[in-house]
This record gives sequence, structure tokens and C-alpha cells, in this order.
Amino acid sequence: MSDKSKANARAEKAAAERAAQAKREARRRWLTIGGVALAMALIIGGAITISLLQKNKNDDKLAAAASGRSDYGVTIGEESAPHKVVIYEDFLCPYCGELEKQTREDLAQLAADGKVFVEYRPFDLLSQLGDYPIRATSAFSVVLDASGPAVAKKFHDLLYENQPSESDPGSVTNDDLVERAVEAGAKESDVADAIRNVSNKDWVAKATSEAKAAGVNGTPTIILDGKVFTDGRTIDEQAENLIAALD
Amino acid sequence: MKGSLAWVGLLARLVTGGVWIVAGALKITEPDASIAAVRAYQLLPSSVAEAVGIALPGLEVVVGLALVLGVLARGAAALSSLLFVAFIIGIASVWARGIEIDCGCFGGGGADPGASSAYPWEIARDVALLAASLLVAWLPRTRLALDSLLFVPRAAGAAEGDGS
Repeated sequence: MSDKSKANARAEKAAAERAAQAKREARRRWLTIGGVALAMALIIGGAITISLLQKNKNDDKLAAAASGRSDYGVTIGEESAPHKVVIYEDFLCPYCGELEKQTREDLAQLAADGKVFVEYRPFDLLSQLGDYPIRATSAFSVVLDASGPAVAKKFHDLLYENQPSESDPGSVTNDDLVERAVEAGAKESDVADAIRNVSNKDWVAKATSEAKAAGVNGTPTIILDGKVFTDGRTIDEQAENLIAALD
Repeated sequence: MKGSLAWVGLLARLVTGGVWIVAGALKITEPDASIAAVRAYQLLPSSVAEAVGIALPGLEVVVGLALVLGVLARGAAALSSLLFVAFIIGIASVWARGIEIDCGCFGGGGADPGASSAYPWEIARDVALLAASLLVAWLPRTRLALDSLLFVPRAAGAAEGDGS
């Protein structure tokens, strides 16, 4: 009988030890998982921090570029207006065309009402698809030089209304560009040769390097009061929200 | 059979993990491009797209590291599978909507005319990587995984309960 109780006690003790052992194992296991998870969280946190720091730097650069007037753009409205919008765009970019279509009249009205000062800054983003962005931007600068900002703005609008598709940028010829410049109000003799010869390539290169230096790497890039404006899932939503933000 | 599957699992881990590390690392220092790439899918509201564009690269790198090292490999593989499913849905949806964008898988992103010709191949690639991820998630253990060191099989008595 005493043997039996001894055996029982041993068995109980062994069981208790096994239980304690299992408990230690489980603890170790969870600590390991926790440690690994912590390391992962730290890496993700570090990556997010790097990205955010870089983004802040980029945002500051863009805000600085948008705060002044560019030599490579055309404006509507009064500089004293409560809001300032800068739009970096490429004459070939379809989303720029869509943004133009959705916002042009409203922006013109808001500018006329003194609610916003808008600066359009065209540059060459897409010339790898064809030389249209260079030809069109050069023509824009020719018109700006020869006929002034009002005509240049009208020309800019006409370029977007008659935008070629990205798959066939050559479909709008230099003669077409001259025709549109004249339609916008430029005197043919003032602009025709310079447009046909794409003589302001230098201006385009400078406008482009200014945009790139500001960190613009997509179009349209909209900057509202020094902040990149991206509110909206689609370009149409963005256009709508931009107008709503200004009104 | 089981032994060779464990080696296949190692290969799947290295390939998938390597792809994640490269894809994530290329994007961490290009937050604006990363955000623009997410936005180009026109699926997420702007603020969500921004958060995803900022957080996703780090997550990709961690999933990749976990797979390559074999740390919590099954969990990482499960997460990897989910991400690939999301990417496949994303690419299929832009394809269906006729939006032509660079998938932004390895940096870059945004509008890209003629991109739709690449969609079938991109989806095929993601399906292959999804299959590799599912294999790793399904296998109890693959070769040369750090998990084997971190989580030693339990003492004899408890060994049977250790299914993973």
C-alpha cells in the first residue's frame, strides 16, 4: 500500500514536471514569436519613417517651387487672390486634358471673381512617346513671347481641346499648331516660322528642368496653396474637389 | 516525397521572398512614385492610397525577409498570398476598366499607354508567385528555415502535439 502511494506520488511529480516543462516551452515559443514580430514591426516602422521623411522633403521642395512665379507658365486671375493653384502639365498627357476639360471654365470664372490665382506650367514629360510635347510647348512659348499671356492661355486651351492621343502624337502637325495659334489670336507672321521650326526648344528644356528640380514627376501635378492636391479617386473627382475647395 | 517537397518549399521561399525584397526596397525611397502608383489604380480614396503607398514597401520588405530567412515562414507566406491576391485583383480591375497604367510593381507606376499588353503576363507572374506562397504556407516546414532553430520541437512527451 505504501509502495503504491509512493508510486502515485512519483507519477504525480513527474506529471507536474512535464506540465511545468510544457509551460516553459510555450512561454519560450511565444517570447520568440513576440521578438520576431517586434523586429518586423521595427523594420516596417523604419521603412515608413524613411518614406515619410523623403516625402516631406519632396513636399517642401514642391511648395517652395509653387510659392513663386515661374518664368515658364501662364497665369489667370490676380496674384492677391486668397488661393493659389499651380498646375504642372504636359500637352500630351490625357489626364491633363481631362483635368482641363473639367476645370477650365470654373477656374476661369473663379479667377475672374478674384477667388483664385492659377498658374499653368507646361513642360515636357512625355516626349519619349513622340516629339509632340516639345513641339507644343515650344509653340506655347512662342505665342507667349510674341502675343502675350492672354493669347497664350487661349492657345493652351485650344491645344487641349484638340489633343492628339498618346498613341499617335504626330497626328497634330506644326501647321496645325500655327493654325491654332492664329485661332487663339496670334498674328500669323509673328509666330508661324518659330512654331514650324520648333525654335524654342531651349525654353522647353528649361521649363522641364525647373519642373524636375521641383520634384514633379507626373502630370497633372496640382498644387493648391503650397500643398499637392490629390483629393479624389479619379481625375474627374479631383477636378470636382479642386473647384469645391476654391469656391 | 516529403523531403523533396521541403526543398521545393525552400526554393519557393527564396524566389518569392527575393521578389518582395526587391519590389519593396525600390519603393521605400520613392514615396511619391509609390503613392502615385497606388493612386493610378483608381480604386482607393486619396488618403487611403497615400497610406498604402507609404506602408506597403516596408511590409513587402519584411514579408520578403521573413520568407528568405524562413522566420515565421507560414505566416509570412499566408500574408504574401493575400498580397498577391490583392495585386491580381488590382491589375485585373484596371484591365477590365480599360485603364492603362504601369503596375508599379517594382517602383515607377502611373499612366502608361500600351501597358495593357503587359497585363496578362503580370497576372501570370503574380499567379505563379501566389502558388509558390500557398505552397510555403501549406508545408509544415521547409529546408534551411530559421524557424527550425527558433522553434525546436518540444520535449519528447509533447512532440506529438507540435503540429507546426
